[in-house]
Amino acid sequence: MEEQLKIGVYVCNCGTNIAKVVNVEEVAESLGKMDGVVVARSYKYMCSNPGQEMIVNDIKNLGLNRVVVAACSPRMHEPTFRKALENAGINPYFLEMANIREQCSWVHDDPIEATEKARVLTSAAVNRVQYHEPLEKRSVPMCPATLVLGGGVAGLAVALELGDAGQQVYLVERENRLGGNVARVDLTAPYLDSARDLLTEFITRANQNPKITVMLESKLVELGGYVGNFQARVEDAQGDVLELAVGSVVVCTGYKEFDASRIKSLAYGWLPNVITSFELEDMIRKGKILTNEGKVPQYVSLIHCVGSRSLEYHPYCSRVCCMTALKFANEVKSAIPNSYVSDLYIDMHAFGKGCEDFYRKSSEVKTMFLMYEKNHPPRIREAGPDDDCGMFIWVKEQLSGEEIEIPSDLVVLMVGMEPREDSESVAHLVNISRDKHGWFIESHPKLDPVATTTDGVFIAGACSSPKDIPDTVAQARAAAARILAKIAKGEIWADAIYAEVDEDLCSGCRMCNELCPYTAVEYDKATKRSHVIYAMCKACGACVAACPSGAIKARHFTDQQIFAQIEGVLPWHLNHVS
Amino acid sequence: MAVRVNPKLIDDLEYYGAQDVIKCYHCGNCSAACPFSKEPFVFPRRSMRYLQMGLEQRLKGTLEPWLCYYCGECSEECPRGAEPGETMMSMRRWLTAQYDFTGMADIFYRSWKAELWAVLIVALLTGIGLLLYGFNWGGGNLSIYDGPQAFLPSSAIHTFDWIMGGFLLVLLYFNSLRMWYFVMKEQRVPKIKLSIYIKKLYVLFLHFFTQKRYSECERKRPWILHLVLMFSYLTMLILIMLFLRQVQDGPAIDWRVHVFGYLAAIGLITTVILAIRGRLKKTDPYHKHSHESDWMFLILLVIVSVTGVLQHVLHRVGLYAPANIMYVLHMMGVVPMLVLEVPFSKWAHLAYRTFAMYFSELEVEALKQQAKAQQPIDAARQVPQAA
Repeated sequence: MEEQLKIGVYVCNCGTNIAKVVNVEEVAESLGKMDGVVVARSYKYMCSNPGQEMIVNDIKNLGLNRVVVAACSPRMHEPTFRKALENAGINPYFLEMANIREQCSWVHDDPIEATEKARVLTSAAVNRVQYHEPLEKRSVPMCPATLVLGGGVAGLAVALELGDAGQQVYLVERENRLGGNVARVDLTAPYLDSARDLLTEFITRANQNPKITVMLESKLVELGGYVGNFQARVEDAQGDVLELAVGSVVVCTGYKEFDASRIKSLAYGWLPNVITSFELEDMIRKGKILTNEGKVPQYVSLIHCVGSRSLEYHPYCSRVCCMTALKFANEVKSAIPNSYVSDLYIDMHAFGKGCEDFYRKSSEVKTMFLMYEKNHPPRIREAGPDDDCGMFIWVKEQLSGEEIEIPSDLVVLMVGMEPREDSESVAHLVNISRDKHGWFIESHPKLDPVATTTDGVFIAGACSSPKDIPDTVAQARAAAARILAKIAKGEIWADAIYAEVDEDLCSGCRMCNELCPYTAVEYDKATKRSHVIYAMCKACGACVAACPSGAIKARHFTDQQIFAQIEGVLPWHLNHVS
Repeated sequence: MAVRVNPKLIDDLEYYGAQDVIKCYHCGNCSAACPFSKEPFVFPRRSMRYLQMGLEQRLKGTLEPWLCYYCGECSEECPRGAEPGETMMSMRRWLTAQYDFTGMADIFYRSWKAELWAVLIVALLTGIGLLLYGFNWGGGNLSIYDGPQAFLPSSAIHTFDWIMGGFLLVLLYFNSLRMWYFVMKEQRVPKIKLSIYIKKLYVLFLHFFTQKRYSECERKRPWILHLVLMFSYLTMLILIMLFLRQVQDGPAIDWRVHVFGYLAAIGLITTVILAIRGRLKKTDPYHKHSHESDWMFLILLVIVSVTGVLQHVLHRVGLYAPANIMYVLHMMGVVPMLVLEVPFSKWAHLAYRTFAMYFSELEVEALKQQAKAQQPIDAARQVPQAA
């Protein structure tokens, strides 16, 4: 360092959060005696405007070139103080924070020892900040085109939102038609709108939009690059591979239905009049609900949670089946007015808008609601020749405590949702993670539900968990909004903190390539060296620690900086002071 | 053994007046509101569930509908408008039809037209029969009302009354026996010992004469009116069955007979008027819904009361021929009312309700004895609070 170090130390009281245990004055006074420290102050709330102004003024008036703030965890206020440094005209990365709240005052009650610990932590920060380097953020251009995987209701909604905003969309669909699973449905709950009407509008608009390129019978075979700059290779129906440059990818691959034949007691595949919900949809769409023998069924039974909410199959709720079953009850009653519909449920999940009302109305069309217990699934058996029905469903009914047998001519299994077979390969292609069931994992289940751990790759709809149409469309549009925001910025700013490979030291062992959880390290076959795509790097440090050649350096976490900090907490160093 | 569900039962009960039972979602507010709902008889929720599920077999053997006096608290508390009170009422009608081995009750409850035809036919037969008897085997002279020469001598009528009474008792006896069989078949308590049957015999009389349980409802008025109505009937019954000869042998009738007769007539007419008014105004929950059979009963009561009073007045003022005709008309009301209503319709409750109280106490007592025989810890859990 040619420039003379001028360090400012600021010890925050955090009201009484820190000050009630730590003697902040003493810490400030002691730190003020360290080499290079020009000023050391304590203040009630360092993050407040007057607190920040204090730092800014000291930088301007005293010519400080390093700042240490001893306060809370950097998680919340490191950006605040970096901003203060930037406002005062020095590089924001010349800041170091010492956490004397979460790691000290909140967890200790001995004032003398806590004060000593606060002093040690702060002096370590002072030691470290000497080696901070000025860092600059970098940007990469954002390609405005988007690749959407899956032409169901989610994919269509994303494509339309982006296409209507004038952005190029490639809508890739494996099947030879758009619409996904919704296209297999007749009416939708709870308002009994036609699914066909909903889809026709979406599909027509997508086909007419010049910005949306619909690619049927096509699939993604390779995705390279990083946020804003992906290169996708899509194979079309003829087997030709197209190279597409896209800035974002939205995965809308949806779900598949549970295979009911896995549950032996339900006799699916063995008794011909036990059918799945999709098979009933098919009958309704064709206009006739008939048994396998071609008769109009008198007793129709609906069994909920087939494959869902069971430890044996899927423990989760598939979310749409309850309302679909109620929809069936209404549809069957209106198609066959003198039929008797029984509805066997575990719990009635009527959480959506208008759903509770729909539940009430469905009970008014005289649906017989029977509650069964999770661990006692219904059993289906054939009826005898003297019975006026084809089958009997045995069930232990919960509200009466009775074991009963329900006459049935047609049994409809409300099959749940499960991840598609190709979800693993899709996850691998676009580098996103799956949970233990195989659903794609979101960046944050509550606060960031459509982003993934890979920047620029989004998920929407039932590929991440079972979802109904409104939730799916909401997610799709949320993903589109996230993409449009990036497109509007035009470039992607990467954090200044990332790993760098010194290519002179790199031996090309590629250990880091496999290790990086964000696939940010790329191997260049020509130079036989690895390099970090800084736009994708999250500065976790895994590659730095792993590199056998010591060729990778993490900016802002250099060996020198970390060793200096460690030395700062060691007692011999403290004795060395003053 | 699994119980077979009959999905059609709920539709079937509509004929008996159950309308909104499907709306029930089993929150249990009704059972919490009912002052009588206690283990082992928790109602109306359980019966509502049996009905919704079509558990015909269970419903046939339940006593619970008879333990309800329809104060209407449950219907008022019901958040879904499932009308548990009226559902219990409809189940009593259905049970009456189930107990009746002739199948007549079933026909009458299902079709008010059939009931009306039956009433008309029985009335007509009664009228024709009495006239034929009067002219051929009786006094033969329409203008003689009193004494052995009367158009319809009281001795003959008296004999006819006893025959009819005996016929009704036989019907009620067999139907009550069926009730007992259904109830005990479904009973989930240990076998009830003969000693319990004897020990609890007093319950039959207590409930028949006081409707003690009815008085425990929050609303007292219906109980008082019902008691007035019942005692008026009872008075009339005693007067007719025991003193008919004195009444008709007149004209010098003992004043005490008159006093009782007038009091009973006033009691009958007042309560009938109040019941009709209640059913028209529909302000009380127990009067909100009226089945055709309820109206039929009230209409017959009105006819019987009015013709009875007129007949008496005509007799007292000395218009003997009109009095005789009015008497025939009176009998044309009385006979169908008794022959059709007592065994096959609303009136049957005089037997079934009383027996239900008795059977329920038997069950409670049997459970108590069973609990006593078991471990004390178990006993604490199982002893039902005595009703």
